[in-house]
Amino acid sequence: MKKPASRSLIALSTSALALPGIAEADAPPLASSLSYKISNYQEDDLSREQVPFGELERYDIDVHQFQFVSPLGRDYALFIDANHENMSGASPWFSTAGSNGQPVINMSGASGIYDSRSEVSLGVRYYGARGKIGGAIGYSEENDYRAKYVSMSGSRNFNNDLTTLTVSLSHSDDSIFPSDAERFNRVRHENKQASSVAVSLSQVLNPVASFQTALSLTGQSGYLSDPYKLQDSRPDEKTQIAFSNSLRYFFIKADGALQSDYRYYRDDFGIRSHTLDLSWFQNVTRSFKIVPMLRYYSQSAADFYTNIDDFMKPLSESQSSDYRLSAFGAISGGLSFVADFGGWSATLTAERYVANEKYSAFTVAQPSPGLVQFTRLSLGVDYAF
Amino acid sequence: MRLILSFIMLALLAACSQVQPWERGYLAKQEMAWDSDPLERALNDHIFFSKEASSGGNTAAGGGCGCN
Amino acid sequence: MSTNLRHAGFRAMGTYCEIQLYEASRISAAKLVRRLIDEVSRLESKYTRYRDDSFLSEINRSAGKQTGIKIDIETLKLFEHARSCYEQSDGLFDITAGVLRRVWDFSRRQIPDESELEGLLPLIGYEKLNWRDDTLLMPANMEIDFGGIVKEYAADTLATLARELGVRRGLVNLGGDFAAIGTQPENRPWPIGITHPEDSTKMMSHFHLSEGGLASSGDYERSFILEGKRYSHLLNPKTGWPCSGLRAVSVAANLCTVAGSFATIAMLKPEQDAIDWLTDSGLPFVFMDGTGQIGGPGLTDSSY
Repeated sequence: MKKPASRSLIALSTSALALPGIAEADAPPLASSLSYKISNYQEDDLSREQVPFGELERYDIDVHQFQFVSPLGRDYALFIDANHENMSGASPWFSTAGSNGQPVINMSGASGIYDSRSEVSLGVRYYGARGKIGGAIGYSEENDYRAKYVSMSGSRNFNNDLTTLTVSLSHSDDSIFPSDAERFNRVRHENKQASSVAVSLSQVLNPVASFQTALSLTGQSGYLSDPYKLQDSRPDEKTQIAFSNSLRYFFIKADGALQSDYRYYRDDFGIRSHTLDLSWFQNVTRSFKIVPMLRYYSQSAADFYTNIDDFMKPLSESQSSDYRLSAFGAISGGLSFVADFGGWSATLTAERYVANEKYSAFTVAQPSPGLVQFTRLSLGVDYAF
Repeated sequence: MRLILSFIMLALLAACSQVQPWERGYLAKQEMAWDSDPLERALNDHIFFSKEASSGGNTAAGGGCGCN
Repeated sequence: MSTNLRHAGFRAMGTYCEIQLYEASRISAAKLVRRLIDEVSRLESKYTRYRDDSFLSEINRSAGKQTGIKIDIETLKLFEHARSCYEQSDGLFDITAGVLRRVWDFSRRQIPDESELEGLLPLIGYEKLNWRDDTLLMPANMEIDFGGIVKEYAADTLATLARELGVRRGLVNLGGDFAAIGTQPENRPWPIGITHPEDSTKMMSHFHLSEGGLASSGDYERSFILEGKRYSHLLNPKTGWPCSGLRAVSVAANLCTVAGSFATIAMLKPEQDAIDWLTDSGLPFVFMDGTGQIGGPGLTDSSY
């Protein structure tokens, strides 16, 4: 029988554990860290049934991510993120009815699209006695797209730091200037803005479990269509709402942790979706972890989705054959290996993603012929100094 | 309604649980963090943002890209 | 992967310090140790009372000022821990008691005038500190001393920093305040010898530390005997006179800071009170009482 801890032990441990050099969570980092991750993902080729003429190859994308985190004095931390991404391949251009009446895809970029995207962001966070507050600015550039964004986030702990309320705001100002606009009669220069607000509440349930619930609201306005599609006309306003629930549970006997995240989403394009993400972090040795992951996603179609473009329809009426607006389901599975060598650690991840209208949890009135499957490989290293 | 219910549920849970600071060793583990691997999370957000119609989650989103 | 135990000794916080790490390479161990020494130097230069440019000296100079002084979070949390110590010791562990040093000089082996002592007592009392949010308004002539807190906190901070820098096995020793980072290989605990209060070449006891911290408090050197009575350097803030409790005590706990607070408070309490209070805490401890008897549940090869 374990005797309850003495009053003095409780009081002295509580005040000592709140000291910034000791507190494990919610304290500014004591050391700097540098992380780099390289990823490649390749979308599966389409089949001849889906694309009667031209290229079958879709995107092949390389992503490089850098992150630098450093303490700034005792109460602040600095975050610098830089990403670079290269893509090549082709994407669906328009969709017509094939000889059997089924929709078929016509791909863009017979000679292939090459594009790259660079992004930098800079953030500072202040760690106070009962919470933290931070802000970030970022910039992302492609040869046909530019985004500038700012974000702010503040959180406050209550109830002996068992409950945390976080509010975050962000705003993004984007410009779109499609390449070869003249030749293909595309829009020349368009803008779009997005603002979002998110509120989350997290609660420690017991020594091995905590729960978080969050609501985010995003409003977009401006040019929301895809300038590269032959016939793509979407409303110029969109409101999105996402409701997320997350659970973290540590299994002491198994020496592993379960991460479970569920999100319900809906917007006024008529899309609703469910996302369930499960990860199991298995500690194998003190310095080695295996992390299997499973994800299920399903969405309903946008009200104006069509799998065969109607070129007779006036542009004032919304219409899109973008597969991302169709009803479908997607299952993905992955496996990560994490090795910790003391001052630095390495993570290797492989993931397979398969989208299919058969996996849909929603009614599929018009299946898209352009659903995507991809395989991803990532290697990340982290170094603390 | 579901939202309100879940907030009430949380408030109830908050009222009955008292996990002392020195009992929070497991909760402090990296794998128990809401965002245990920020680069992996950012990559996933970016990939799924470019393949699916849904976005948004626990925090306010960053900037857009020409991928969607 | 082969890992070797590396040692580094240095002076900081007015005492001998040592860091032991299991590290694969000597170069990265040297870099790590440098980083840890930087951190202990930061804490020393912030909280030492021996330097005029320390933040602690700045706080003490603010005594009596109407505007008070703005306290940063780290120091604020140290104050909060000090308050916790003050409450749990019923006022015996008081960071405002340092003013008594103005009349007690242990190197001169002299007893101060009762009237001098009486004059200082009104300047002592944690509850006399006024706070306006994070601004401290300290009455004139009062003085703060984080002795018994900062060195222990520094040991824990170094252990946390070493963990962040990837150390999985190591031991921090700041002049007898220990913080462990994991165990030695094969789950072997760290053996720690506790010096005998009367003879620093002898060992009073030894501990096996697997995690957390170990701290000691005692009349090691700074006490004197006058006319057959022992005068401990540990002073009762309520009377201004030395405490006559235990000679020495070592406590192990989840954190060195917690162990240190228990050890210091135990030294300030009357002997039997101290032993009962430590026993009630359930923590392993070893003590030497006024008659030189050694005891405590930490005596027989105890581990934490």
